[in-house]
Amino acid sequence: MSAPAPSPTSPGEPAGYRVPSLGYRILIACLRLIPSFFLLVALPVTVLTFVHSRGVALPISTFAVTAWGLALIAFGTARYILRPTRAYGPISIAASLVALLYLVYALSLSPYRLVVPGGSASIVAGYSLFLELVMIVPVIGILVGIVVTIEDARSGTERLTFDFPA
Amino acid sequence: MATLVVPTHRRPPAIYRLARALRWIGAIVLAALIVFAGTAAYSAVEVARSSAQSRGLSASFAPNGTIEIAGSFSLSNPGLYPIRGLQMTARIANSTGVFLGRLGGGQIDISPSSTGTIPISLYIPVSGTDAAASLLTEDQYLRVDAWGNATYAYVFPVSVTLSENRSWGAPFENFRASVGAPSGGGGSVTVPVTVTFSNHAGFPEVGTLTFVIVSSNLVDCGGGSFTLDAPPGTLFDQTQNVTLSSGCSPSGGQLQSTYSSGGTVISLPREAIP
Repeated sequence: MSAPAPSPTSPGEPAGYRVPSLGYRILIACLRLIPSFFLLVALPVTVLTFVHSRGVALPISTFAVTAWGLALIAFGTARYILRPTRAYGPISIAASLVALLYLVYALSLSPYRLVVPGGSASIVAGYSLFLELVMIVPVIGILVGIVVTIEDARSGTERLTFDFPA
Repeated sequence: MATLVVPTHRRPPAIYRLARALRWIGAIVLAALIVFAGTAAYSAVEVARSSAQSRGLSASFAPNGTIEIAGSFSLSNPGLYPIRGLQMTARIANSTGVFLGRLGGGQIDISPSSTGTIPISLYIPVSGTDAAASLLTEDQYLRVDAWGNATYAYVFPVSVTLSENRSWGAPFENFRASVGAPSGGGGSVTVPVTVTFSNHAGFPEVGTLTFVIVSSNLVDCGGGSFTLDAPPGTLFDQTQNVTLSSGCSPSGGQLQSTYSSGGTVISLPREAIP
């Protein structure tokens, strides 16, 4: 999608915005992929692999972490690129929904049973309540997406004035 | 880049401010949860490194024919969050799987930068034909299954299960009480009674070991007593001559022994007399 045309200005209410070009947004989005990939895929997979190499059973598979991480990255990237468009609200909802599903999936794996390698001890740790607290974040993200969608439906360029001030 | 338009300074509309406020709230909640998760993980590692300890575990004879295992379980919490509702339970079985007893303690709360202690004590009946009687005379491995529950950092319920075999040193290891050949004649017949055992327990045996020779038809033929002062790790081997009651034959009977110390009375396994 391309960004909408710059908003008209009225004499009594000066307003304006400067939307970065699609190519520029794609470039920045690609740069954002580096830390996103590190935080959402590389770091957790490395930690899980390290722990697994020590003989500790994993609470979640590296494949699942990679798949969910890539999904989050994809939606996050699309969300950034589409920010000046009307698709920003719906894609925000979708991105938060993916994050919420990721947490629901992790929640289904709780509690985690850890058997100490070479020993006769096992530890069962529940983290359901914590994940339920974390779910507040994507729920808020969904609310934000809904509000933005409503705002864009009312006035397609209203928020651009403030998101991309000239 | 798009065309530069006149800058604006007007106040954003309410719906935009609502979205922005929600974004801020989301970011703050996320940051707080990340900090909480990080500090909770760090604190949990510190607690794990501090390692729980069983302190002063000791065994001793107690009244009513029991052995008391007493001590305390302590856990230090150097972390930033409290450990709440900590309780411990242990189940002990002998080497053949016979249930001997259960001990437990708690619930306690351990504040950050403090140490919590749960006193534990277990009374195991060992006299006569009790299931744990073998603890008196046989070194063995006891199977200890322990588990504990607690809530860490307010939101993480944790339970720990531990199974291990712990060696048990019998206080009357390889206990033998034997009756020798009768001697004498006329109205006075004596038999030598020999008692041997090793004290493999971690506590001294100070008291009196009383024995009675019972004939095959359950008549008391006579008896005697030894004064015990057996420190841990020592061998006890003493013989005493016993004058039998007139006409009483120990053959086919049994030797009944009792250890007493203070208010403690422990019946030892009966030994058959050939």
